[in-house]
Order: sequence, then C-alpha cells, then structure tokens
Amino acid sequence: MNTLKTILSGLCLLCSLQLSAQEKPAPAELPYSNKIEVSDQALESLFQAPENISVELAPGFHIKGKIENKSDHGNSVISLLIKLNNAEGSMLSIARYRDPKGGIYYTGRLLKLHDPDGMMLIEKDKRYFFIETQQRFLVSE
Amino acid sequence: MKKYSIHIIVCIFMLIHLNVFAQTPLLNSYSPAAATVYLDFDGAEVNGTIWNEQGRILAAPSGLSAASVIWIHKLISDHFKLFNLNITTDPAVYERAPVHQRIRIIITPDGSWYGQVSGVSAIGSFVWGDDTPAWVFMNAMGNNPLYIAAAATHQIGHTLGLQHQSLYDAYGVMITELSGGENNILSSEAPLMGIPFYKQADWKDGHPSTGAQKLQSDTAMIAGAPNYIGYRKTGEETALSGNAVKIEKQEPGSLELNSSGNYSYRLFDISGRLLMQGNLKTGFNEIRTSTVNTGVLVLQWSGEYVSGAQKIIN
Repeated sequence: MNTLKTILSGLCLLCSLQLSAQEKPAPAELPYSNKIEVSDQALESLFQAPENISVELAPGFHIKGKIENKSDHGNSVISLLIKLNNAEGSMLSIARYRDPKGGIYYTGRLLKLHDPDGMMLIEKDKRYFFIETQQRFLVSE
Repeated sequence: MKKYSIHIIVCIFMLIHLNVFAQTPLLNSYSPAAATVYLDFDGAEVNGTIWNEQGRILAAPSGLSAASVIWIHKLISDHFKLFNLNITTDPAVYERAPVHQRIRIIITPDGSWYGQVSGVSAIGSFVWGDDTPAWVFMNAMGNNPLYIAAAATHQIGHTLGLQHQSLYDAYGVMITELSGGENNILSSEAPLMGIPFYKQADWKDGHPSTGAQKLQSDTAMIAGAPNYIGYRKTGEETALSGNAVKIEKQEPGSLELNSSGNYSYRLFDISGRLLMQGNLKTGFNEIRTSTVNTGVLVLQWSGEYVSGAQKIIN
C-alpha cells in the first residue's frame, strides 16, 4: 500500500500541475484534495484494450495489469475488472453504461480489500475524476 | 426383519433426497416494484467483482430450512415495507429487474475469504449495474436467523448508499462508528445501520460515520437519488415505528397533527424528493401543504429517541 500511496501522491502532484495549466480548473466544490482528471477517451480505451492492459489514463496515471473479467449486464452495462501489476494487486473495477438515449457514462473504483484507502471514479459537470478516499466509504462491513 | 430393513433404507433415501433437493421457497415481498433485492440462500460462484482479488469465490448454500428462510425473508421485508422495493428469493425475479436497481445478497456460512465479520458490501452497489453482490456470513452469527436478517438488512442498507450510524461526543469526536443506541440506554431501539442485533432496530436520522456535522436520514436516502426507489404507492397508512405523531385531520392543503414531542419533520413525494421540512412541537401542529403536489406523500418525523413515517394523500 505504501507503494500505491507513493505512486498516487506522485500522480496527484503531476495532475495538479497539469490541471493548474488548464483553462478549465476542476470544479471547486469537489471536496477532495487528491483528484486526477481523466478523459472519456481514456476511459473508453480501457474497454478496447487487450487482456494484458497498459493504458495511461492521465499524465503519470498508468494502468498496467490484466483484465480478469469483462462482462455484459442487461445490454446496457459492460463491466471490467482489471488486476493491476503496478499497485500491489489492487483491482480496478469500472463499468460503462449506455442510457436509452445513447449517452455513455462511466463509474469505477480502485481498491485493495482491507487497505485503508482507495479511489473512486466520479463524474462532475460531464468531467471524470479519480478521487482518493478512505476505503471504508467504498466497502463496509 | 428383512422387509423392515428395506422400508427403513427406503425412508432414509427419501429423507436424504428431500434434504439434498430441498428448494428455497420463492418469496416476494412486493411484486409490483421493479427495484429488487435478491436474497440468495442457494450458494453461488462469484467472478469478476471487487471481491475476487484471490480469484473465484465458491459460496456454499446456506443450508437453512425452508421455515428459517421464510422467517428471515419476512424480517427483512418488514424493514423495507415503506419502500417501493421487492425483497425476493427468486433468481428469475432478480434477472428481470433493472440492472441499475438490483442487488444480490449472498447468504452463506463461511466468509473466511474476507474475514471474520457478519457481512460485507460495497457502498452504493445497488445502482452499479455490474451485479457486484453483497455478503452475509452466517458462521459469524451462530446461524441465528434473527441476526442473519439484521445483518442482511444492514448490508442492503450499505448497497443503497447508507453509511454506518455513528455516535459522537459533544465536540464531534467519534465515540463509536457503530451506534448501538447507546445514547438512550432506556430505549430498546438501535439503528439498523449501527449494531442492529441486540435491540429493536430501525432506520434512523443520525450522524453517519462520514462526519458528526452530517445528517443521514436512512429512509430518505433509500428512497431518493441515486436509487430512485421511492415509496409504495398504496394509499394505506403505514407507520414505520411508534405512534409519536398522529394525523388528526387532513384537508386539501392542510394537515393537522398531534405530536407527542418536539420533532423535526420532512415531507417527501412518492419518488423520495424532499418537498417540505420543519419542526413539530408537542401537541397540535398544522402543516400547510397547498404548495406541494397532490398525490401520495410520505411524512417523516424524528426526534432524539424516536422516528417514524406515514403515508398521506394530499
């Protein structure tokens, strides 16, 4: 987990530098200090990737691992489960939803069971962010 | 003797056959609802979810008798009787439910792949759409049906987005993440999202584990976004708990209430949208409802030691 934290801290630093250079800042009301913006295209690339996946979701935010599962749910949802090589066995669970009007949405979470922290993919103003959060807000007993 | 032996052997085979092939009774608490909670007592193979860090999970069947399943289903259904939500034991009902409004609760003896806990679930997974299940581990509760039902309701609550109801001191420092109703030792009530095993447990308005400054209304969160379950559309009056607030008179645009204490109240439409809120004082109260839509509404009230809800038709 320390390695994951180090990686995430580095990523967040890089991402904050990148965000500060952008014209549109991240929505101020997002109450998270550690957030990484990812594009729709980057998220979509996960669903097109081969089994052994290596995708840069954002500058410095590299997803490298193996797709453990890809499945359809009710014709409107495709979910992916990716076991990461570069984050001590953490799992990235991500789903793509297609609404009846053809709109595409993504949800996801990156975690390792019993670790204190994880990440959640959230959408705000049609932009996507991975935010760092305590895992007890993702998984609870 | 030989004849009797054959009969005995045939009887033993019949008993074994009945036991092995005993099927879980197919039960539904509220069939009109599309939103579905599937109680899976039959064992499961789980792949491709956040639970599968160590690969495939083979969950054994619960081994509970049909009578126990019926009882557990009834207890859980009672906790959700206010909502437009079907608690089912029928896998076909789950398969037909909208993918963004369904959850499977696997009730199985052994949770050693995760840890010695009564259950585990992913917060908000009811709407994820990817069939991530939640878990109840019976061995941790001595296979007591009362505890199994309480644990299942607790886990369903998590999948519907609820956090634990916690206890904080006057300075906002958390005393315990799981409230057991300690703030009222004279009461026999506890929050379903706290420790629901040893007291009469119910949904509460309280401070969640995410912070003392926040307020979590369990029922409002279950009914509202992003679950969009809403409340049952039957016009009958249903009290969730207690009779602390009694509706004395109802006219178009006005609601007259008799309250047994000083409570806060909130009025929701059937979809779970908050329409009005305010305070009730002990005794007579009047709420003007002329500004809200007509139709079936839900009035919720809560105080320090009591909370309840009632459907009304405006």
